[in-house]
Amino acid sequence: MLKKVLLPSILVILAYGFWISPDFKEIADGVSIFLFGMLFLESGFKAFTGGVLEKLLQKTTDKTWKSLLFGIVSTTVMQSSSLVSVITISFISAGLVTLVGGIGIIFGANIGTTTGAWLVAAFGLKVKISAYAMPMLVFGIVLSFQKSKYLKGIGSVLAGLGFLFLGIHYMKEGFEAFKDSFDLASLAVAGYPGLFLFAAIGAAATVVMQSSHATLVLILTALAAAQITYENSLALAIGANIGTTITAIIGSLSANVQGKRLAGAHLIFNLVTGVIAIVFISQFIWAVDSISSRVGIADNNYTMKLAVFHTLFNVTGVLVMIPLIRQLADYLFKALPEKVLEVAEPKYLSDAAIEFPETVLVSVKKEVWHLFDSAFELMAHGMNLHRTEILESADFEKTIDADREIHDFDMDELYESKVKVLYGAIIDFISRSQSNMSSVFSEELFRLRNAATEIVECVKHIKHLRKNATKYMLSDNEHIRKEYNRLRYQIAMILREIYRLREEDDYDHALAVLEMDELKAEILVTHEELNTRITEVLQDNQITPSMATSLLNDFNYADETSKNLLDCAQALLASHADLVAEAAQEVILDEEEIKEASTA
Amino acid sequence: MKFIRLIDKFENLFDKQTKGRPIKPGELQKLEQLLADKKSRYEAKLESTQDPEKRKKLETKLKVVNAQLEKSKQLASS
Repeated sequence: MLKKVLLPSILVILAYGFWISPDFKEIADGVSIFLFGMLFLESGFKAFTGGVLEKLLQKTTDKTWKSLLFGIVSTTVMQSSSLVSVITISFISAGLVTLVGGIGIIFGANIGTTTGAWLVAAFGLKVKISAYAMPMLVFGIVLSFQKSKYLKGIGSVLAGLGFLFLGIHYMKEGFEAFKDSFDLASLAVAGYPGLFLFAAIGAAATVVMQSSHATLVLILTALAAAQITYENSLALAIGANIGTTITAIIGSLSANVQGKRLAGAHLIFNLVTGVIAIVFISQFIWAVDSISSRVGIADNNYTMKLAVFHTLFNVTGVLVMIPLIRQLADYLFKALPEKVLEVAEPKYLSDAAIEFPETVLVSVKKEVWHLFDSAFELMAHGMNLHRTEILESADFEKTIDADREIHDFDMDELYESKVKVLYGAIIDFISRSQSNMSSVFSEELFRLRNAATEIVECVKHIKHLRKNATKYMLSDNEHIRKEYNRLRYQIAMILREIYRLREEDDYDHALAVLEMDELKAEILVTHEELNTRITEVLQDNQITPSMATSLLNDFNYADETSKNLLDCAQALLASHADLVAEAAQEVILDEEEIKEASTA
Repeated sequence: MKFIRLIDKFENLFDKQTKGRPIKPGELQKLEQLLADKKSRYEAKLESTQDPEKRKKLETKLKVVNAQLEKSKQLASS
């Protein structure tokens, strides 16, 4: 309901404002151009994602101080805490960054964003920055028409900065003129009611503009034009900080629970910081005055003092919250628990990641592993084995021989709810993200898509062989029972081997990939041995011809399953970041070569 | 002209990060070394194993590693 009313109301208010006041129109022009510049700046920086930014983020978030520093630096460079928080949400959704690391980045971004106030207060309002805006726009637009992705990116960044400067210029002009016709300062309210009122206005303005940066520039220009009092500007800045969390919350709507937790952390941090700033406002004003006089900021230079205040209260917030970062993460884990679902849901595929190729790859790989886990469970039960038996049994062959428990469940139903749903989500996600990919990323995605398809094929094969495997594992005929147990052993052993390699943190990707070829050759040898054995037991009348036919059919299913599993593992255990493993991909033997090697 | 070269260098720098790299002889050499080490391990195991079933498995593994080594060498020379 609110959504339906909000936009028309804003449009009506704006139209009315334009009609009664040309100065208001000029301020609104400035804000719009400023926001347009932010959009350009964001799209410009996105041209450099797809490798560099992601790798940097991965390396710089393993310790809290590193992620804090990363947040500060990246937001200072990009001048957009929103972009940094949205990228962080996409990373956290993909499992590339831990929640604690993500919270560190968000804290850092809150400090980094205060540099914007310094730039505007120090230069934006004193130097005629509109003089720089036009050349930047011209160069930026020329470059953004170039073919090269990176030149386009540089062009967008330049044009973005040009628009930002132009926006500031219009806001400044608007407020200068506005000053003569209307005095906002007369509306100032003293004391705490005034603080809360202006904090609420600051938050609302940021929610509408989706940018605390824009609100802050607006506050600074209004303050420079003496349209608001210094005290009220402090409250507005506090409100802007709280309002900016809305961008992260909107960004997290399409993210998974981890992304939502991060947005929650952002909201809690900014609320706590805001409350601290409001409660201790007199102490902050004293501290700002004291710092300003030490660094040579004039007593009446309120814009610079506001910049000092903005930095000071954000740094205070970080200092207060950093020791509580783990408790905050624990609280968010409890407050926003992972849903336990009857139907499997993708865990790592977040729309927030779709524009970042490196993140897409990591997300898809993790999701295919998730699919593997679901399929593992189903395949284990399909062969009347428990997952724990496969993974933990010391004498595996003996365990399989001894276990004659039938697992009664509807394989079709579980396939639909645990495997097909995930597979569908993976295929859909890959097809939607492929348009942003360079050829090498696309190839890797293709490999992962095939791996997912192979997992699904495995489940289908197990479904086929389950009927006879269940029937003959209870048979009194020792020979047929033994053969079916061999078949169960073969698949379970491969599942176990893949799982073991995956769980080893520092496994050698290249060797892991090539080890799968050895297993493929072993399967071929096993199949040859089976053919010989079947002929022998048939001749000795130890099994019936019907049993032999079933066995041969089911061993074909088992071989297909094993081959699919090993092909899939070769795609999943590889790492495009490990160049020796990439070389190993070229050395993987094809079917003929394996046949040759196993019979030579 | 220099500007264009500068842009080319810039693109190459980013392409290395974003588009992956062609396989270099050095990487194949490392791979060959890994496979050669593995081969020696299997040969040592084979010498010390008497169980015919285990020996057969090891022989199969050894044949695969040999084929992979051969393929890697061919790739390096091409």
